[in-house]
Amino acid sequence: MKPVQITDTLWRGFGLVVVLFMLLPLFLVVLFSFNESALTSLPLTGLTFSWYERLFEHRSFWPAFQNSLIVGFTVAVISVAIGTLAALALSTMKPQRANLLLNALSLPVMLPALIIGISLICYFVRFLDLRLSLLTVIMGHLVIALPFVVLIVYARMATFNHSVVDSARDLGATRWMAFRTVTLPIIRPTIIGAALIALSLSLDDFVITFFTIGGGNTLPTLVWGMVRTSLDPTINAIATLLIALSIGSTVIALQLSRYRG
Amino acid sequence: MGRRWLAIAPASLVFLGLFVAPLVYFLVISFWSVKARMPRPDLTIANYIATWTEYGDVLGSTLSIATAIALATTLLAFGFAFVIRFKAGRLGPLLLFVTLITLFGGYLVKIYAWKSILGLDGILNMALTGTGILSEPSGAFIYSTNAVVITLTYFLLPFAVLPIYGALRSIDDATLEAARDLGARPHAVMRDIIVPQCEGGILVAFTLTFLISAGDYVTPRFVGGGASMMGHFIEQQFSIGFDWPMGSAMSFTVLATSLLLVLVVRALFRWAFRR
Repeated sequence: MKPVQITDTLWRGFGLVVVLFMLLPLFLVVLFSFNESALTSLPLTGLTFSWYERLFEHRSFWPAFQNSLIVGFTVAVISVAIGTLAALALSTMKPQRANLLLNALSLPVMLPALIIGISLICYFVRFLDLRLSLLTVIMGHLVIALPFVVLIVYARMATFNHSVVDSARDLGATRWMAFRTVTLPIIRPTIIGAALIALSLSLDDFVITFFTIGGGNTLPTLVWGMVRTSLDPTINAIATLLIALSIGSTVIALQLSRYRG
Repeated sequence: MGRRWLAIAPASLVFLGLFVAPLVYFLVISFWSVKARMPRPDLTIANYIATWTEYGDVLGSTLSIATAIALATTLLAFGFAFVIRFKAGRLGPLLLFVTLITLFGGYLVKIYAWKSILGLDGILNMALTGTGILSEPSGAFIYSTNAVVITLTYFLLPFAVLPIYGALRSIDDATLEAARDLGARPHAVMRDIIVPQCEGGILVAFTLTFLISAGDYVTPRFVGGGASMMGHFIEQQFSIGFDWPMGSAMSFTVLATSLLLVLVVRALFRWAFRR
């Protein structure tokens, strides 16, 4: 082999190792949720769904599942509504100014969730005198979901042909009509994609939820409680469910928005 | 003009009302004092002094662990993004797809996965004792700094791959071919063209992974035995200590020192790759 071929093979080998590193741990979690033995050990002892039955009979599971869905869908709808509006306006600005605003709006992504969570609890409880509830969780999740929605929709608008909207306006459409009949149908897949990304961010969040929920559980805070008290495959079952929910919605989002990095 | 600002208003309201205002209020609290377990308005720097005297060594270990994680993650991510862009051919989109789906694949789930791999009755120990490499399960894998580094690197890797890949994608193939035609060796192409041109992506990846790991407390508690990182002690001020002013001062100390360190690393990087 030529030296070039050897280094290429080495690079590909490295790529394979990294992919395995990214996928294997998640795969093992899923695998052991179907394993008969209560121990997470190889070889597998047999196939079973009993850990899922145990999970569905768990007294805290369904309320947590319901809370997760309520918070997730509310966050998705609100963040998409106001995020799309902002992204559309940003896309008509000078790129320099738009980028400045985008960078500012993305700051919450850079900050550790712990600091967002504890600053929110101080703010809600002491400054606003609010009672902690699902509503405060929703407000907390908006902070981290909104930047993603704005970035995704703004990226789509970069290749959007504004002249079609101008044509509609020239033909007498109002701003709202032009948006509803021209802009929206074109960018709808991206908007749904952004909503699903917001949903999976919310479903997955533990730290901000933990500080802002007061009482009750969402799926991640339930997992936290279970991991602290015991280690058994019921956790694998709920973890598998979380993986399926977040990866499922991400895959659909990617298909719809054609967002590729 | 007016309409445009009106359209941005709701998003700005969320940003200012639920992000900036809480942070500013939280900063103000760091100058308060505590009387009878309740935070009281005050103007003291006692909390900052206490942070340095009581948690100085934890701060040091937090910053060094975060540096290790950010370096490991950024290096791995650069290599992987490089493979996706230049070496994987038709498999590139598939590798990118794997990166994107693991991006949101569960924060707690990922930490739990490593706990069940590295733990005393975990998969690694079972495999090693089963094959006779070890005679009994070893407790050396979990509850160590290495376990924290591995787990957070695993969690943050997709977040680091994406900005670097974005930067690599915009490098023009013609530039690279020109350099090779003029006789540049592969490492010279890497050092003089590829790395400088994706500087922005690399620095975003480093900054993001550094800041997130410096503020994490769940990973150290699950796989690191807890006590080595600031996040753990900050969280305790809220869950059991009820000393908000102290927790706030600790948070801003971590943030300020982290930002300083990130700025130094950025400057060093620019100095190393720019002539």
